[in-house]
Amino acid sequence: MVATMPDVQPLVDEFCTKLNRRQVEGSLDTAKLALVLLRQVISAQRIPPNASAAVLIDAIKAVGVRMIAANLIELAVGNIVRRVLHIIREEDASLAITVVPGVNVAVDSDDEDNSDIREQSSSHAVAAANRNVLRAPSLHNLLESNPNPVKADVTVASTGDSADTKSRSGDKNSRSWKLKHNVIESINIMLDELQDYHSQVAEQALEHIHQNEVILTLGRSRTLLHFLLGAKKKRSFQVVVAEGSPRYQGHKLAKELTAENLSTTLITDSAVFAMISRVNMVIVGAHAVMANGGVLAPVGLHMVALAAKRHAVPFVVLTGLHKLCPLYPHNPFTLLNDMKSPSEILDFGELSGCLNGVTGGPESHVFNPTFDYIPPELVSLFITDTGGHNPSYVYRLVAEFYSPEDIVL
Amino acid sequence: MPAMMPRSRFSLFDPSLDNSSSKADSDEGGMAGNTTATESSRFYDERARFNSNLLSGPVTYEWLSQADEARLNSSAEVFHTVHDKAVLSREAMNGDNSSSRFSVIDEFNFWRQKPELAEAVAAIKALTAVIRRSEATTMMGLEIELKKASETLKMWDKTSISLSAGCDLFMRYVTRTSALEYEDISAGKSRLIERGEKFGEISLKARQTIASLGQEFVYDGSVILTHGYSRVALALLKLAASQGKRFKVICTEGRPDNTGLEVAKELMNAKIPVMLILDAGVANVMGQIDMVLLGAEGVVESGGVINYIGTFQTALVARSMNKPVYVAAESYKFARLFPLDQMDMSPTPRVVELAVPEQEERIKIHTSGRDYTPPQYLTLLFTDLGILTPSAVSDELIQLYL
Repeated sequence: MVATMPDVQPLVDEFCTKLNRRQVEGSLDTAKLALVLLRQVISAQRIPPNASAAVLIDAIKAVGVRMIAANLIELAVGNIVRRVLHIIREEDASLAITVVPGVNVAVDSDDEDNSDIREQSSSHAVAAANRNVLRAPSLHNLLESNPNPVKADVTVASTGDSADTKSRSGDKNSRSWKLKHNVIESINIMLDELQDYHSQVAEQALEHIHQNEVILTLGRSRTLLHFLLGAKKKRSFQVVVAEGSPRYQGHKLAKELTAENLSTTLITDSAVFAMISRVNMVIVGAHAVMANGGVLAPVGLHMVALAAKRHAVPFVVLTGLHKLCPLYPHNPFTLLNDMKSPSEILDFGELSGCLNGVTGGPESHVFNPTFDYIPPELVSLFITDTGGHNPSYVYRLVAEFYSPEDIVL
Repeated sequence: MPAMMPRSRFSLFDPSLDNSSSKADSDEGGMAGNTTATESSRFYDERARFNSNLLSGPVTYEWLSQADEARLNSSAEVFHTVHDKAVLSREAMNGDNSSSRFSVIDEFNFWRQKPELAEAVAAIKALTAVIRRSEATTMMGLEIELKKASETLKMWDKTSISLSAGCDLFMRYVTRTSALEYEDISAGKSRLIERGEKFGEISLKARQTIASLGQEFVYDGSVILTHGYSRVALALLKLAASQGKRFKVICTEGRPDNTGLEVAKELMNAKIPVMLILDAGVANVMGQIDMVLLGAEGVVESGGVINYIGTFQTALVARSMNKPVYVAAESYKFARLFPLDQMDMSPTPRVVELAVPEQEERIKIHTSGRDYTPPQYLTLLFTDLGILTPSAVSDELIQLYL
């Protein structure tokens, strides 16, 4: 109904195209870009004085759905969209709470017949209900009335005192402005958090890595590099890096760690089980954390997690709140994976004859998934920018940072 | 049931709450004291009777909604005449309680006859009727009256978890409402009545929410094992089927109530391929299935569930073969219980027909009607509060009752 301002549209298109072509990849980069873009959408959105939050939410949803559809595997984009929606709802509700007592006072002052008791009680109910709006549905508010009739009450109460309708409309205008201002403020804070994410996680390294320990990892993640370097400030320890075929990011990590004077051993992925009994802890990065505590991580890590479980080695996952996805992996073995080109596994020339199904010759399939799904029972700990959490605690984080009505967009 | 009795002092339904008037005692005939092997839980018996009446024919949603509408539209008079007859017939038993010709238990059983209403809903409807008839002039008086009614209801059958969970939930709401703002009794009363009436709707909506959340987990080509008769699990499967998903259901026979037959009947009507197996065949088919879908009678604080007997073994087998176990349960089934093992629940004796000669006294028969499945064997709970891990259940309960 209310379209976004025309000057934002090309930016959204551009971002979607980039996502689609995988010119932006990785959860942190996509999250940051998505957040900046959403901030622009909000500041460009013209808000009519009434029903302000709904307009803003619709605008963000419209943009968000397109961004998510552009590349389904970048779950961070969807997470950011949902968190921005949550922020809008939160700010809207907190404004509503601050407005309501004003109504109450006005009613009290200008008439004192028996109707004012009812109105007073209803405004109390509104405040109570609005506090409940944000909270996920719970046993606590199962029997409470739903927010819609309460909203109707608000308008009745505010139109009831006709004495100051003028000031009220002015107030509404400033309220919508206030909402926008507060939302953008919160988004800025979130952006700062994203900027600080690596250092926040790295700060906790000393609590987890001890002197002379042996740490095993697979592939490469920037968070992991910062984490290990954070620990290196005070501890000396060894790192065993599995190369992480077929992308061999482990080679790069090994080089980087050696450059920082950390004693590093590079092994093949198939040597993980042989090494695991000598290892004190497995620390890895993740692509996304699902709502049940399951992890989407680079391919090969499920195997590492199983090996770690077999030898009771703690399996620690470094992650940020932007990677926290409020969805459940309904069918993790076929969903949420990205199939890459077979050329990473074999050169075209080598087996081109086998790959050619057209000539009727023998045919071999090459399967090159990007991610593994690691079930929550294999994960010992998540280290996030807000501290360490158990897999069974993830649902709580989801409830805290997302509104249930946004989970399905 | 001598084998059970030594543990009965650990019963979670504490009989020390025994302030429930002489009526309850005369009515119960001292049943709480001597639970014998031949006597079965009246709660279950009545339910079985209701179900056998109502589930034998095809019960459609249209039929239900029509019946519901008729009941609501034909106003209180029809309702009360039907109802008063029931009360009159029981008047002789209720003798002493002359102040109101009304028994909360009859009211409860009246609502329970509706096949689509869960027991917790019936309990809350019964308590709402108590409020409507109450002549209390203060919120406190009303609260006391309600508390008495809810205790009566709970004492009538101490074995039902959903009944006591429903009562507790509503009482909690009453306490909070009266504490909130209503010095005015009529406003408070009408608010409580309104919410009580709405609860039926809330519970139906809860079932829909669960079905739509849970059907995402059913995927094409999957094989689902069910055990026991659960309205919400059935709603979930039907919704998934109506969305064009192709899947198979294997359901257990479900002795001694043969719940599997009812489930199979309903699934057949919904054109879902279904296979019946013996209860003892669970491990045999576990290799073929993709997930286990269960209902629950009650969800306890640990996140485990209390459900129809055989649930525990099904979950155990599923876990040992690494199959996900999903439980569909409405949030009003969350109960403040913390059973530690199977013996930790009040026994629910059932009539079990085994091929043992009646007169053979030396053979004892185990007649428990339900079991407790600890949380570590459950993967996820589908509730109207969202999809929860078992550990989230205690969180919800703490939020409500702390």
